[in-house]
Amino acid sequence: MSSVPMTAQTAGKGAARAAARRRGHGGFGSNRRPKWLTYVILALVVVLSIAPLYYTLLLGSSDQQTISKHVIPQWLPDASIFDRFSDVINTDSFNFTKALTNSIIISVVTAFSVVLFSTLAGFAFAKLRFKGRRGLLVFVIATTAVPTQLGVIPLWIIVTDLGWQNKIQAVIIPALVSAFGVFWMTQYLESALPYELIEAARVDGASMIRTFWSVALPAARPAAAMLALFTFIQQWTNFFWPSIVLSQDNATLPVVVKLLQGSFHTDYSLVMAGVFLTTVPLIIVFILAGRQLVAGIMQGAVKG
Amino acid sequence: MTALTTAPTPPRVGPPEKRRRRVGFSQRLSRWDVKVSPYLYVSPFFIIFAITGLFPLLYTGWVSMHKWTLIGGDAGYTGFDNFTAIFQQGEFWLSLRNTFMIFLLSSVPQVIIAIVLAAILNQNIRAKTFWRMGVLIPYIVAPVAVGLIFGQLFADQYGVINTALSAIGLPKIGWHSNTFASWTAIATMVNFRWIGYNTLIFLAAMQAVPADLYEAAVIDGAGRMRQFFSITLPQIRSTIIFVVITSTIGGLQIFDEPRTFDTYGTGGPSHQWETTTMYLWNLGWGPQQNLGRAAAVAWLLFVVIVIFALINYFVSSRISTSDARRGTSKQSRGRRGSTDRKGATR
Amino acid sequence: MLTHRPSRPARRLIAAGASVAALALTLTACSSGDSGSGSSKTQDANEKITLTVATFNNFGYTDELLASYTKTHPNVTVKQEIAATSDDAKANFTTKLAAGGAGLADVQAVDVDWMPTVLQYEDKFTDLSDDAVKDRWLDWKTKQATAPDGKLLGYGTDIGPEAICYRADLFKKYGLPSEPDKVAELLGGKDASWDKYFQVGEDFVKKSGGKVAWYDSPDGTYQAMVGQLANPYENSDGTPKDLATNADIKALFEKVATESKDKGLSAHHQEWQTDWTASFQKNAFATMACPPWMTASIESNSGGVKGWNIANVFPGGGGNWGGSFLVVPAAGKHTAAAKEFAAWLTAPEQQLSAYKQANNYPSQVEAEKDPAVADSKNDFFNNAPVGQIFADRAAAVTVTPFKGPNYFTINKAVTDALVAYDVQGKGTVESNWNAAVDAYKALGLG
Repeated sequence: MSSVPMTAQTAGKGAARAAARRRGHGGFGSNRRPKWLTYVILALVVVLSIAPLYYTLLLGSSDQQTISKHVIPQWLPDASIFDRFSDVINTDSFNFTKALTNSIIISVVTAFSVVLFSTLAGFAFAKLRFKGRRGLLVFVIATTAVPTQLGVIPLWIIVTDLGWQNKIQAVIIPALVSAFGVFWMTQYLESALPYELIEAARVDGASMIRTFWSVALPAARPAAAMLALFTFIQQWTNFFWPSIVLSQDNATLPVVVKLLQGSFHTDYSLVMAGVFLTTVPLIIVFILAGRQLVAGIMQGAVKG
Repeated sequence: MTALTTAPTPPRVGPPEKRRRRVGFSQRLSRWDVKVSPYLYVSPFFIIFAITGLFPLLYTGWVSMHKWTLIGGDAGYTGFDNFTAIFQQGEFWLSLRNTFMIFLLSSVPQVIIAIVLAAILNQNIRAKTFWRMGVLIPYIVAPVAVGLIFGQLFADQYGVINTALSAIGLPKIGWHSNTFASWTAIATMVNFRWIGYNTLIFLAAMQAVPADLYEAAVIDGAGRMRQFFSITLPQIRSTIIFVVITSTIGGLQIFDEPRTFDTYGTGGPSHQWETTTMYLWNLGWGPQQNLGRAAAVAWLLFVVIVIFALINYFVSSRISTSDARRGTSKQSRGRRGSTDRKGATR
Repeated sequence: MLTHRPSRPARRLIAAGASVAALALTLTACSSGDSGSGSSKTQDANEKITLTVATFNNFGYTDELLASYTKTHPNVTVKQEIAATSDDAKANFTTKLAAGGAGLADVQAVDVDWMPTVLQYEDKFTDLSDDAVKDRWLDWKTKQATAPDGKLLGYGTDIGPEAICYRADLFKKYGLPSEPDKVAELLGGKDASWDKYFQVGEDFVKKSGGKVAWYDSPDGTYQAMVGQLANPYENSDGTPKDLATNADIKALFEKVATESKDKGLSAHHQEWQTDWTASFQKNAFATMACPPWMTASIESNSGGVKGWNIANVFPGGGGNWGGSFLVVPAAGKHTAAAKEFAAWLTAPEQQLSAYKQANNYPSQVEAEKDPAVADSKNDFFNNAPVGQIFADRAAAVTVTPFKGPNYFTINKAVTDALVAYDVQGKGTVESNWNAAVDAYKALGLG
């Protein structure tokens, strides 16, 4: 990532270029709109991306026997899927509303905390000089190599000793920080946070934490927004550890969806309806946050 | 009081003295602030990691040196016996082969397709937000769900894909019986989920490339392809390295997708698609309940991942065009951002 | 630019340390006082307690049933936790047992396939021996839950006596007798044997021109046969038998492999896989080994198919597949009360009520005799008299296989080879048997 500082020029040699840039943000150095081929490729990609979700709608509108007979039971979803939705929400096997609330709490809290701690650490690694910086950073990266299955039993023992079985703290606390997040913010801040800004703040007499709040955080916004979104999604779809530590009366949505699979017979239409329901909140977050996210990326671009 | 008296002139009895005292104190504090804050800022990560990551790691190392059953617990120190036993197991080497092949089939296309997609998205297209969000949709579908959905697609006899193939006269593919086909199917599931994610990461990096570099290239007469290879790629070099490393580490640990590829979750009757994490899981939590051996496999996997990540790091560092000023990302980081090297930006 | 707010160093310090402090606070505040794992084996009879019972799939215990216990034992409230699949429940069970037992319910439902683990770690479970429940269950059922030293570690709930479920419509179509008693006769009646079963199968496959297979899966058929051996993989003292010299198993393996693939009797699906589920709608096979709980699967997978029926016969006489027990983990807080509750829950009356809810065939001798069970019929299977059929089949069970700690790993080695041969079409019978033997050697059971 480049760190060439961009200052808007209104006169002189670069003025024309800057004006052109402002007129039309073009990644390939021109205002030219891409040809139709681009849109065809993009459309294909989006269709492929949405197809599986669409397939869940199709299966959800059908029933198990039809699904067994024809793998694509119908071509358009119909209103019967709403019956399946209410089956899922009102089932006795688990508490859907509780699961939904838990998923929201866990995802929001961890997204917030990961962004905060990762930006803090990223700021330190990227811009501050302290002993052991390099070694610690390598260590951070190395921690991502630890397979999750490795830690299940010791983690379970810790959680049991603290009395956190079947409580959402057991899922939140281990997820409060993320090595990926630290690495991500370090990389970004390195190039997106010009040293001059920090210097200016220090010269003004700001403390470290002040510098962090007023300079580093705003500079990190685009990457932070993306990290928040990624963390939210990751925690929302996390299955393995919550399935071990939480029981079905206090679970999260992905765990609960798996519960729709019966022991000796599975009603795939019900399972797929459940799968879709657990994805809907993410779609909503996505639609709301998506624009922010993209705006953030563009802002980051202008900045440098 | 007139404005004159409030003018901040140095020798005054009241406030200036206070200011002098405050400055002195805050100077000491400020120095201490600079020294200590970095450690404070990185400490939350390390504290939590110590409890939830390091302790399990060490504990599992301890377990790997003992005969240890899942429920029975510690049954005696055995040194490296578990490790030697694992090396003699055909299943272990098969799982490594599977892991490596699935990793190749997923990570390589992932990175390439993601870069290409990001480049496409980087253009001045209409409805940017829609397209950009569109590619991320697969990421929001939970892996369990992806497994369930693709399980319907890839069923050997009655799956969607095979039904379609036989409808147009082509032979059915043994997605579960044929080893290579099973790798492809699983890699497809993994790619489905992660391509959009990596695309956005690359897109963010590409957006940070200054436009005047491209404009200069256009003036020099460079075509789009040339611009892509000579400007875009080198500029996003550190991101490429980052993505390659993270997808290496993630790719060698693939678990959810192969696990849900069939209802038993053991990797197939001939261990066709059993990855090393699955082998670990089956050893420890399957009928054998041999936690000592599972722990040994976990540590071996850890070592393999670290080695691979390092290899990939060096390979990708060299592949990208080297810019004398840039050097490796570590060097440039040192040159660019340290607080002790004033004004040495770049 | 920075605003000119007067910033005191003290405030800055506190702000800087706040994140770390908040973290520490979260940790301590959230941790409720020690959960207290001291288990009171004796308790004050008037102490108000809540007992948890963890089941899976559908044991048929309704809220009303559980509430009725409180009527006779006012100080006890009962809560049920249900896992959807037995696999989920097993993973939960093993993990919590492995971490010392904390988190397990007071009464845990355990599938017969997990009993070897329970028996292996008997000190983690309460001895449930009691004169009051002697002879409550079928002999072979009690035996499955009895430790070598005589302790009774589980109370039986349901059992899985096998009969043959078949497609009467397909039988008729291809010229075989389709009435249940005629079918029983066709397969040999009281002298039904596997040879006869395979023979009739070959005949059927010929008649259907290969369009319809005889049975659903090689592993389903194999496990029905293995379930009739007394010591399939291990000696009664728990030591494993070397698979390379295990003539009984080798014979079974070769028989099933040849009949399944070479003679075309199997529909070439592995049980429980997606293809297997879909095959019910495709007229892929005509018979299968059928314990009571399998009827629920068949019904749900075969909606719309009308020809299923049940014949009161089983090759080899009888066999058992599945069934569950209730165990009381020793780490629980109220083991005495839990034992009492488990005894009540597995009493004939309560099991009857469960049967009405979930069709789980009871293992209690008295319950089986009750008209509510003995006279019950199954609509989907064309009114087959299931109470009668399964009572007969249960009585015909003479042997239940010894399942020690290594039963399942060795069994997996054999079934993997079978599936590789028949379902995946790899290699020869010989090469797959050798693969199974290699897999056995790799276990290092010496």
